[in-house]
Order: sequence, then C-alpha cells, then structure tokens
Amino acid sequence: MTEQSGVPDVAEQRLSASSFSSGLSVSDFAACLDMGLEPVGLVQGFCAVRTTSSLNFGNGPAGFTRSTSPYQLSSGDYVENYQCPHGMVSGEHRMWGQNYQQPWIENTWRQGFTNAFTRMVKEANTIGAHGVVGVLDNVTRIGQEGVLEFSIRGTAVRVPKLPAPSSGPWTTYLAGQRLAKIIEAGYVPVSIVAAVSSVRVWASCITEYLMEGSGMTMWAQNSDSVEVEQIVSARMAARALVRNSVRAQLHGDQLHGVELNIREHEFAKGDLEIQPVLRGNRIRRFKDFDPLPAPRLTVRLS
Amino acid sequence: MSEEASELARTTEHRLEELEKGLFTSDLSVNEFLLIKEVGFHPVGFVMGSSIYHTGIQTRKWGQSQELTKLTEAMYNARELAMTRMEEEAAELGADGVVGVRLDVNYYEWGKDAAEFIAVGTAVKAEDGVSRLNKLGKPFTSDLSGQDFWTLLQTGYMPQGLVMGTCVYHIAHRGIGQTLGTTGQNVELPNFTQALYEARELAMTRMQDEATQLGATGIVGVRLEEKTHQWGSHTIEFLSLGTAVSKTSDDITLAKPITIISLDN
Repeated sequence: MTEQSGVPDVAEQRLSASSFSSGLSVSDFAACLDMGLEPVGLVQGFCAVRTTSSLNFGNGPAGFTRSTSPYQLSSGDYVENYQCPHGMVSGEHRMWGQNYQQPWIENTWRQGFTNAFTRMVKEANTIGAHGVVGVLDNVTRIGQEGVLEFSIRGTAVRVPKLPAPSSGPWTTYLAGQRLAKIIEAGYVPVSIVAAVSSVRVWASCITEYLMEGSGMTMWAQNSDSVEVEQIVSARMAARALVRNSVRAQLHGDQLHGVELNIREHEFAKGDLEIQPVLRGNRIRRFKDFDPLPAPRLTVRLS
Repeated sequence: MSEEASELARTTEHRLEELEKGLFTSDLSVNEFLLIKEVGFHPVGFVMGSSIYHTGIQTRKWGQSQELTKLTEAMYNARELAMTRMEEEAAELGADGVVGVRLDVNYYEWGKDAAEFIAVGTAVKAEDGVSRLNKLGKPFTSDLSGQDFWTLLQTGYMPQGLVMGTCVYHIAHRGIGQTLGTTGQNVELPNFTQALYEARELAMTRMQDEATQLGATGIVGVRLEEKTHQWGSHTIEFLSLGTAVSKTSDDITLAKPITIISLDN
C-alpha cells in the first residue's frame, strides 16, 4: 500500500486486466450500454477506523457524570437543557436533562467515509473512467474491539471515443433507468453526497416518566396524551443538522434521489442516540427540460 | 474423488434418463420459462451438484493479518467440485448451459467442520441445434434469472460461466498496548484497512482470472459476500461471484424502455 493513496498494489494489478467487471445487475448493465456508457471495472474503497469505545459507537469523551454537562466537552452547535420543574432532590430523580450534538461521531464518520470514497475514486482514475455509477456504501463492525469499516463500491464507466477525463470522475448512487431518466430530463450527475449527524439525549425526569409510561399520574400535569417534547426536539434537531451538512456540500447544484435513514440506539434507560444518515446525488442541469413522452397506463394481469 | 466425481449417483442416471425422454423439470417461474423460450432456448432439466468438504483447521497468529491459504483453497475447491458436478449433469442432458445457478453452503449437526456445498440450476438447450458451449467445451453457467438472461442476449452478450474467487483472511487482534495507545481517539487503522482491502482485491482478481480463462470480455452482476462461517469473528471469507460474458454480436436489439404508469393499487 503506497502511503498517500491507501489503495493496495493488488488493486492496480486487478484493474489493469483486459476484461471488465461490473457490479451492475443485467438491467442496469443494459441501460448503461443504451446510454452509451461502457462499464470498465468494479471499483472500491475501504477505511477501517477505531472508535473511542469498544462497546458502542458513540460514547465520545469518556468519564462525565450527570453532574457535568457533556456539552462542554462536545463543542457542537446544538444543545438544549431541560430543567426539572418539581424541585425535588433525590438520587433517583433527574434534576436536569440535555440534548446535545456529538461532533466527534460526525467527524469519525466523515473521515471514514471520505477516505473510502477517495480510494474508490483513485481506483476509477487509474482506469481512466469518466464516471462511477450504482454506488453502494456500507458501514460494518469488525471484531469486538470497536473497529468500524467504511466501504464504498461502484461500477466505473467510460464514454467511448471521449478523451480520458482531466479531473476526477463523477459519481452517483443511481444506475440503470433511474440514471437514464435523469439525463433524459436534462441533468448530469456530479457527485454523491452523504452526511451523518448525531444527537444524544439525556432524558429529563419528565421525559423519562413519559417514555416509561409509569409515574404519569404522579409527575405529569394530567393523564392526557402529551407530546414528549425533548425527544421530538432532538429528532428535529438531528434531521436539521444532517440536512444542513448535506446542503453545505451542494455548492449550488441540485440534490436528487435523497434517502434518509435514522438509527436510534438506547444505551441505557433515558440515554439514547439519534443518528440520521442522509444520502443523495448532486446533479447539474446541462440542457433545458425536454418533456418526456407521455407515460402509458398499464394494468398487470396477475 | 475426482474420478468418481464423473460417476454420478445411480439415482441421478435414472432421473436424467427420464428427462431425456422429453419430460423436463425446472425451477423457472412461468415468466422466466416464456422468456427463455423466446430467445430460442428450451429447459431440459433441473440439475445439481454437491460436495461435502471437510474444511480443516489452519493455525492463525493472534496479532497478524494474513491470508489463510489452506482454507481459501478448501473453500474454492469445494465450490468448484459442486459446480463441476452440476455441469456434468447438464452435459449428460446435452444442455448448452445452466441458468439461475445458486451456490449455497450448508452446515449439518452431524458433521463438525464439514460443510456441504451445493450448486443448483436449470439446464437449457438451444432450439436451433447450434452449440452454445463455452470456450472450454462445457455448458455455460450463470446465476442470471430468466429475465436477466433475456435482457443480456438482447444487448449482444452471451453468458460464458459463473465465475468466482475467494480469499479467507485472518484479521489481527489488536494488542493491549495498541489499544491503549489510541484510547480516546478516533483514528484510521491503516493495517486493518489494508488487510481487508487486499483480501477483497485478491478475491476479485481470482474471479477475473477465471473469466479470462473463459475468454470473456467482462463480468456482470459482481457480488461480494463476506462470511465468517464457523471460524469466529476474526476470520472472514471474502467471496466474489459474477457471470462472465462475452460479446457475440454488435446488434443491440433491446427496445427503448417506455415510461408507464401502473394502475395497480
């Protein structure tokens, strides 16, 4: 492995072979040929990252207790405090609660994703690809020692008779007809964009009771259905954060085919993490919208 | 066992004899059946091959990432045997190829460290009588569905064989010293990255070598599977699979797709 690139030597040997490989399904492959794109190789990039805790991906600066605010250590943009309205002092009763952003998780994710992505693009560059279609990304845990592996792969394509590209290839999660339709509608793919945000919730006493469903009559104002304000607020903040960081990567282009996955993990009672991942395709208009032919109506006979 | 491998079980012969009389079995869906007929092929029988393999043990060094070549070989040979037997069944039926091939691994309670590798698929024969055997004179194999087979043929490509490559890799455990050294930091572990990266590239290179032997122009539908089997979480098999294809004609007869609105539900 040459130190700067991070792409192993075996990769170059593989990519220099005469035959192509493609991770595309046959229908995507056919659509690719139809668009005038020629698959030249399956390209991939990986990055293994050690995370701070062996138990979970999200314990951040370790060693704080409920008496210190973790936010002071987090230096994130988002924090919200929830005070206990009851004025009770007891070891069991939570005097305050907090929602806070966990930038160290976002940074780790960005580092892993970016490194893997850069390596994939390098592989595509070595075979003179103009673009990479049908990108897939994944994060998996390796062993029990808190190691996460980021992997990104896609199929590198070339436009025959066009000179080798001077800059890096464009990339897109789309493939097949979904890509063909975008181009038909007058757009070209620029790049994939993806971001994660992480918000940790330390439940306040009210949130805890509402989530548990017990103690309602004792502590809540009344027994009607009520909104769990702290959780709602944390989810909204997490989504807003991830949206903003994707938006910051667009540089004036448009976003298409967005996919939002939200993972929630409860580490302990009243201690949870909300982690949305937002993915999409940066696209740019290259010609005016040319209306597509009117679709035909169909009914299946089965 | 290689000599006996060609002597398929007696029950097989009986089953295949019946198939030769014109009765055919297939696991194709009705749509797949019709599409395969449409491109001029006829299913001749459901074929399979299996191999029970003792995968053995290979010592691994706790703190070192390395390929476990013996295991790699075992996993590869076992699949290869299953595939070859399936091809033999197909050849016996006079088939030109096998579509919809599935490769599975089963573990049984009675056999510790033993695994059964199975390859199953539907053998097909060209109706025009022209041989479609691949460069090695064997029936072509592919994991394509009937629909995919049809589509591929419309683009001027012909499947040559299901190709695979495998690499069993042991990933180093991190020593306590290393772990402590990076406590509290989120850092890339270049050794890990490289080990896993290399293992996958090796598996894919081996797959491509198989394709080259078949004289294929390329491989479509490449999948990369990662399995730990029964070796514990630090030993991983990287298996890459795909269908090698070669260009047989420059005509693309695939119709331009039309946009539709489905009125179902």
